[in-house]
Amino acid sequence: MTAAYDAIVIGGGHNGLVNAAYLARAGRRVLVLERRERVGGAAVSEQVFPGFTFSVYSYVVSLLRPEIIRDLDLARHGLHILPLESTVTPLENGDYLGQWSDHDQNRHELYRHSPRDAEAYDEYGHLMHHMAHAVKPIIGMVPPDPTSLHPRDLLALARLGKHMHRLGARKFNALHKLMTMSAADFLDGWFETDALKATKSASGIIGTFLGPRSPGTAYVLLHHYMGELDGVFRAWGFAKGGTGSVSEAIASAACGFGAEIRIDSPVARVRVRNGRATGVVLENGDEIAARVVVSGVDPRRTFLQFLEPKELPAGFAEAIGRFKFRGSSGKVNLALAELPNFTCLAGTGGASSAAIRAAALRGAISISPGLDYVERAYDDAKYGEFSRRPYMDIVIPSMIDPAMAPPGKHVMSIFVQYAPYELNGGWSAARREAFGDAVVDTVSQFAPNLKAAILHRQVISPADIERVTGLSEGNIFAGELSLHQLFFFRPLSAWARYRTPVSGYYQCGAGTHPGGGIMGASGRLAALEILKDA
Amino acid sequence: MTRHSGNNKGYDAVVIGAGLNGLVTAGYLARGGLAVLVLEQRDNVGGSAVTEEFAPGFRCDTCVHDVGWISPRMVRDLDLPRYGLVLQSHGDAVLAPDGHGGFLRLHSTTAGTVESLRKFSTTDAAKWPAFAARIAGLASFLETVYAAPAPNIHASSTGELLGLLNAGLRLRRLGKAAMVDLLRTVPMSVAELLDDAFDSDVLKGVLGSEGVRHLCQGPRSGGTAFMLLHHQVGRQPGAFHSTLTPRGGVGQLSTALADSARASGVEIRTGMRVDRIIVRDEGASAVVLASGEEIAAPRVISSADPRSTFLNLCEPSQLAPEFVNAVRNVRFRGVWAKVNLALDSLPDFGPLARGDEGQFGTICISPSLTYLERAYDAAKYGRTSQRPYLDVRIPSVAKPGFAPPGKHVMSVHVQYVPYQLRDGSWDNAARDALGDQVVATLAEYAPGLPGLVRHRQVLTPLDLETRFALPEGHAYHGEMTLDQILFMRPVPECSEYRTPVRGLFLCGAGTHPGGGVAGGAGANAARIILKNGARTARSSMG
Repeated sequence: MTAAYDAIVIGGGHNGLVNAAYLARAGRRVLVLERRERVGGAAVSEQVFPGFTFSVYSYVVSLLRPEIIRDLDLARHGLHILPLESTVTPLENGDYLGQWSDHDQNRHELYRHSPRDAEAYDEYGHLMHHMAHAVKPIIGMVPPDPTSLHPRDLLALARLGKHMHRLGARKFNALHKLMTMSAADFLDGWFETDALKATKSASGIIGTFLGPRSPGTAYVLLHHYMGELDGVFRAWGFAKGGTGSVSEAIASAACGFGAEIRIDSPVARVRVRNGRATGVVLENGDEIAARVVVSGVDPRRTFLQFLEPKELPAGFAEAIGRFKFRGSSGKVNLALAELPNFTCLAGTGGASSAAIRAAALRGAISISPGLDYVERAYDDAKYGEFSRRPYMDIVIPSMIDPAMAPPGKHVMSIFVQYAPYELNGGWSAARREAFGDAVVDTVSQFAPNLKAAILHRQVISPADIERVTGLSEGNIFAGELSLHQLFFFRPLSAWARYRTPVSGYYQCGAGTHPGGGIMGASGRLAALEILKDA
Repeated sequence: MTRHSGNNKGYDAVVIGAGLNGLVTAGYLARGGLAVLVLEQRDNVGGSAVTEEFAPGFRCDTCVHDVGWISPRMVRDLDLPRYGLVLQSHGDAVLAPDGHGGFLRLHSTTAGTVESLRKFSTTDAAKWPAFAARIAGLASFLETVYAAPAPNIHASSTGELLGLLNAGLRLRRLGKAAMVDLLRTVPMSVAELLDDAFDSDVLKGVLGSEGVRHLCQGPRSGGTAFMLLHHQVGRQPGAFHSTLTPRGGVGQLSTALADSARASGVEIRTGMRVDRIIVRDEGASAVVLASGEEIAAPRVISSADPRSTFLNLCEPSQLAPEFVNAVRNVRFRGVWAKVNLALDSLPDFGPLARGDEGQFGTICISPSLTYLERAYDAAKYGRTSQRPYLDVRIPSVAKPGFAPPGKHVMSVHVQYVPYQLRDGSWDNAARDALGDQVVATLAEYAPGLPGLVRHRQVLTPLDLETRFALPEGHAYHGEMTLDQILFMRPVPECSEYRTPVRGLFLCGAGTHPGGGVAGGAGANAARIILKNGARTARSSMG
């Protein structure tokens, strides 16, 4: 039988789309099958309420690999990143801590809280810059199998060893610490301002089921430092039109290279003949043949939903069963009649404080006043409850991209942690709204006018994330980014090279190296491997 | 008469501290032909490994009651049985109340544990033998790593590269599956490891406690699975308890080491506090005692923790600021206290435990992972656990000489008890409250216990620091988290027992392989020091 397609990509999330684009760019006939009525997976923009557009799930962009932007010419396909220039943390005492992209302004602000921290900040920035550079080649590398004696793997291990050796003892030791320490301990070695440590540590806990004092969280701190925007490390931004426009740009590029995308086409399973993938069967019973099938969904679905257990080697399904998801975050999207009035930004009412207020609302507001605050938020989740006072990362995209809301009105996106997937008693509609109330109540303590300004509210639990986007247990990284699930362990040792035990069946989602965060790197690396095999 | 500097017949090495590691280093160095002096500030040897009378007629291991792995090689090399060490095996390992009146028994034999587990979960019972074998296999790899200095990741010389290659080959020799398992398990949380394996709460609680012992982390924190493996080193597969312990208490190991060292020519002076180390021309040349006496030696070897060694005994201004900073950043965070009870009779843990209270090496109060995690929560915020994890031993049942006839002693490791209290300090009231808390927790399982307590010794983390020179009360001279083990322990510059100060060496638990391996660091340090000396001798001959 001759297949109409060289490759079928299951799932039109950003990694699936990147994968399809690279395959199509190499002249392959590619079909992308998306379950939902739109592409993007967790990177979608939706008009949830009339006139109000939200980046419903994933809401900031920074990790998208620059080579992908270049290779796929995404700017031409409508990708336009607007920089996010600050993070402001309201403090319990009514003051705030600002982190600004402008160096002098940032230093001045830090100095106000701690001259020592202001001094340490630059040195810290340099170290993280070095660390990000040290990790960069690893991010772009297909993980070797550490147990294999294949020359290819030995060579890759040797290259890795050489790279580490070249870093020199100092940088290597710092990297080792970063890989193994808790974010709190790591930051304690640098800073004294509690809110600064808490806000920085928060990026270390996102998407994990760990608190800032647990070892293994410092690494994720670096993962979030990897963002490279116009060549500048650590810059975050919004996509104009919301995160969905990133997906749409990639989809447009893929189609430009000749790929075909079908929405509303849920896949039931992968067809396997004699140990080889030959195509897919849709939920409506249609069969589509292809020489290669690529799964852009998470490892649990890739292996346990689309394949029969008998198609996998002994022990494989059990090992995938142990891959940890443990979704820990939720999202609250608000349509607002007016801007929130954060009391910490009220200031003296002078011109400069008005400017700061406006600038702060164009950036991120982090509800992370102290390490204990974040740690206590985790304590609730450990015992199966959502945080009564959660850590939150708030952005108001309509401040930067007015088209997101009707004139004079605003959209507010609140990323919330912790909201455990395994909630005591389960996620009922009532529990979801209780969670939404906890979020709004907590933000209102810092911005009292918020409640009255809310026109509409969308509350998304990890169970909702799973149901709508398909991400197992609602984990936003398609699998926890913990040390034992990274690099050659992602998703399983010996199967981290994007291949699977079924020949012709590949994985390209964030559940493979280097992982989540709208990087697209997994999709790209998988495509390069597929092209090598074909 | 004391010997002085300038005297050609002076000491080749001065060892600071007569704890297990100091004594082991001294013993090996003397056997290697060096003239060694050991200086101990307390009046007896052993450091934290001592068996003392704490109430008239009642003796126990006042500080640590388990020194971990006693390596057979060390026992042989130093001829310890000849100097009084008698290692005694416990028939049974751990007795653990499940909080609902039942008891889990971990036996030294796999079959025994399987039998006990059946009452809790037949699937757990079925999985036990494979789990015990798996953990023992992983721990056996650590055992080989611990018997040598940590592999040097920044190897540059051929010898070092060979060492690194050797470590890599050992890892490969484990076999493909075990190698992957080891790399995957080490950074995990012990809760994840156990949740993947078992259902029974009390089983997970007991095993989980091994992952957090002497760690300011809860069982859900990353890296705690490593700690479980660390504590399994040298144990019989599935025992989850030190298989062999000194019959006379841990102090018997210390006195045997001291006697063995003396027999090899080591001089041990107790009641001698070293005030500082003299560094001249970037090399250690002498130590000065609190009395003002100066003792010269070309090698000064500190078994004290790295912070005391470099920041108190040395003059930090003579060290590179970056190095001083790294030493300051070593985390200690003691989280345990010790409560020793003199009892009028054997406590009664209820009908289902009767007769077993003393037969089992350990009574473990950690009925579930959640219990353990909640106990940790308090310490995170600078408070003592309201319901702490307890590791209880009643040595007077199976070992002679610990209590008057018919009477008993109970030795209790209490965790979590933070060194730094957020509210208040470790004064008498706080100490008493801690003692009350421990007795009350025990009374939940042995209701008659409070009435049996004739005498009570409570050692807070501050007491442990003052009395036994444990930094912040930390029994291992520094947390054993993944960033503070192997070539990172205590700081990369000192991971091979050498220091930036020529002639100054470390040999304490603050160095690889850390605490819980009796004399492990001391033995490795001695090997390096002797090699170093041989090299110096060769170069001076050439």
